[in-house]
Order: sequence, then structure tokens, then C-alpha cells
Amino acid sequence: MRIIVIGGGISGLFIAYELLKRGIRDIIVIEEKYLSAGGSGRNIGCFRSSFTSPEHVILMKRSIELWLNYRSELGLELKQSGYLWIARKPETLEIFEKLSVFHRNYGIPTRVLSIDEVEHVQPGLNKDIIAGALFDPTAGRMPIFENLVKLYLKLKTLGVIFHFYTKAIRLNSSGYRVKSAITSKGEIYGDIFIVSAGGKGTRELLATVNIEFPVIDETRHPIITEPYAEILKPALIIDWDTPGAPYVTQTEHGGIIFARNIADIPEALLTSHRIDVIGLTIKPIIELLPILKYVNILRYWIGYYETTPDHHPIYGPIYPYENLYVAAGFSGHGLMMGPITGLLIADWVLNGKPSIPIAENLTLERFKIGKLVKEIAIVG
Amino acid sequence: MLGEKKPIIICRCNDVTIEDIINAVETGIDDFEVLRKYLKIGFGPCQGRSCLLLAARIFAKLTGRRIEEVISEYRVRPPIVPIPARVLLAGVIE
Repeated sequence: MRIIVIGGGISGLFIAYELLKRGIRDIIVIEEKYLSAGGSGRNIGCFRSSFTSPEHVILMKRSIELWLNYRSELGLELKQSGYLWIARKPETLEIFEKLSVFHRNYGIPTRVLSIDEVEHVQPGLNKDIIAGALFDPTAGRMPIFENLVKLYLKLKTLGVIFHFYTKAIRLNSSGYRVKSAITSKGEIYGDIFIVSAGGKGTRELLATVNIEFPVIDETRHPIITEPYAEILKPALIIDWDTPGAPYVTQTEHGGIIFARNIADIPEALLTSHRIDVIGLTIKPIIELLPILKYVNILRYWIGYYETTPDHHPIYGPIYPYENLYVAAGFSGHGLMMGPITGLLIADWVLNGKPSIPIAENLTLERFKIGKLVKEIAIVG
Repeated sequence: MLGEKKPIIICRCNDVTIEDIINAVETGIDDFEVLRKYLKIGFGPCQGRSCLLLAARIFAKLTGRRIEEVISEYRVRPPIVPIPARVLLAGVIE
């Protein structure tokens, strides 16, 4: 059985890895550009399970467990140094209390911190403008390319074939079976097709077999500084009460990354840089952590949140096709979901259903029957 | 021969040597953008101005490719030189 995976990002890699572990030997990965040229290589490398829907919480908690297993199994690196959501308004702490109860019900030990406790987690915060925080000690971050390259080299050693700079242009079907993918470098035949080609890429490819795929690529504009010795203690600090939820993280190499959700033209190009974004993004974070006004801004780049109507990924079989599956629309969480994506898609392909039942709520069918995922609170 | 005199620094911002590049290619890294991101070549304060073409030439030689093919995915990112954050804060209007 030959399986064609379209998309050479974290999802495609973990899908291939999980299929290999279950005995599939003939796997071809097609990637439009280079390894993880899309969202997998453009994000900030953070992970958490403290979400606001049961679907996200259950799947992400399992995904983190898998990431931790892969430290020894694949030599991957990650560190659980926690997420710190800062409340500027006292009333936000009531929302945090509710969220923490919700998280603890699922075994995620988040807790609400007083101002003094917050200072213990991150020294140097401006205590005059904060009311408290929510802390998730199980969240963390990882060096992205070190991990991606390790996984890629392992897959190559195990016999997975990669075709880079090969764009899947359309799928060729007969009845309810996909027969081949027409690519920029010729036609590739297979028995099973799995599309994990980011947002717009997946939408455009599925349109060639008359499948409507509701995802839109929203631009994000991360900004990185020169490297510094460790300033940030938690993996991520989020300014919850400021519109666009600005956040900051520090990489293993020392660069400090700032980002914020700033309204932009839908599906703006990856090269459409906006100089105004830098000041808008760093200003609220520097208010919270004033030492950061002394850093030097080095570079900024654009990546996409491949966003679905309910901000949850779309997983599983694409009806009415018998041999077509999808894993896309991660809405900003594709890297952290990588291991669970691999596991669930391998379940669907080989067993016909996911081993974690709640994943059934994330198929494309939910948009047809109007059963979107509900969140208890919307997080930026 | 490449890499005989060690260490020869190629990326001065992030201390990447010829040997690092040779080792990465030998372990199976077969794309210049992946190599750059893996070793952080051109991601320091010089933004690749001093190292990019050197690294690209070495990678092209090691992999038998043309240099223009090797750097085809490279993109320059703003700002061109590092700017202090407090300078960029001036005049921010929400």
C-alpha cells in the first residue's frame, strides 16, 4: 500500500512517522518548497494543553505526553517552563479562576497567581499595572528546527521518500477514489492520499475534487531580537487584557520573540512586511516587562494562522472519497499538535476511526451539520 | 580541501564553522534553507551580509548545485540593521 502525504511540515512528518511505526513502508511526502517552509517553521515553538475546549485540552495533553516520549525515542528537545497569562484587570482573575477549574478537571494543574507570586515566576514585571496571572506549569517551548531536522533525518533513514519543490496542483479522482496527484513535477499515484498542506494550500487542492474546505490564512508578524542571556523565565508571557493578546517568548538561542494578533489584509503575502507592526507589538509587552525596552530588534517575518471557523483543526476522512484524508487548519497550533495529529490520522487511515473518540468532533462534517466546537472562553 | 584548517568560522554572529556545515550535509541536510535554519546561518545581527554567500558557496560545492539554485528561497527580512526597541516605540499610535 502506497501512501502519499501532501505537505512536508510537522503534521506530514508525524503522520509519516506514525504510519511507519504501524508497519507501512511505502510512504511518499510531497512538499511545495523545503522542509517545513510553512507554518511549522514560522511559528514561535511553544506548546500548552491549557485550552478552552475539551477537544483541544484532551488532544493537546496527549500530544505533550507524546512530545515528552519523543525526547528519548527520537532525541527531540523541549522544556516545560510554563505559560504565564497576565491579567491587567482584577475582573479577569475571575475568568482565570473558571479556566483553572476547567483545566484541573482534565488534570492540567493551572493556577491563579497573586501579584507577588507572579513576580516569583517572572522577575521584573511592572507590578503597578497587573492584577495577577494564570500559570500553566506543563506548557513549554522547543527549538523548532533542531527537532524538525531530527525527525526528518529519521524518516529518511527509515525509507520515507521526500519530493521537495514539488507542488501538488490537483487531485485526480475516479468515482469516489483519488487515483493520483498531479504535481509541478509530474503525476504521482497512490492508494491513500493525506493532505496536510497548510491552510490555503489544502483548501485549493481539495477544491480540485469539489470539496469545500473552510480555512483562511491569517497573517501573524513575529519579531525577534538579538540573542540575550535568559531574561524570560516562563516559556511564554501573554498580555491577556490587551486587544490582540500580545505575547513574548525567548528562544533556546536567546532571541526574544514578540507577537500580537494585528488585523491585516486576509491572506496577505508572506513578503508584505509592515513596519508599523513592530511598535504596536512590542509596546504592550514593554509596559509589562520594562527591561525589554533595551533590546535590539533584529528581524521580523510573517507566518500564517491557518484558521477555521471554530479555530480547531480539521481531521480525518473526506467524504465521499474512500481514500482521502486531511489534517489542516490548526489555527496556530499545528506544531504542538504534531504528534497527536500523526497518531489520529494513522488511526483513521488504518483502523477507520480515531483511538481518542473526541477527535471525531473535528472532522470536516461538523461544518455541514453545523456542529462547531464550542469554547468556554475565547483566547486571543 | 574544505575544512582542513579548523576552525574556520563562516557565520561570525552565531559561530558556525565550515566543519559544522560539512557535518550537517553529511548527516543528510540537503537544502540550504533548512541548513541555514538548523545552524542559524544569517540569523544574527549581520542578517547574512557577511556569511550568506560564503555559506551558500560551500553548500553548493558540497552538494554539486549552482549557487543561484541554492539561495533561491533566501529572503531579506526587515529591519536591515538591528534597531533599539525604545526607538521603535516612539510614535506608536493604537
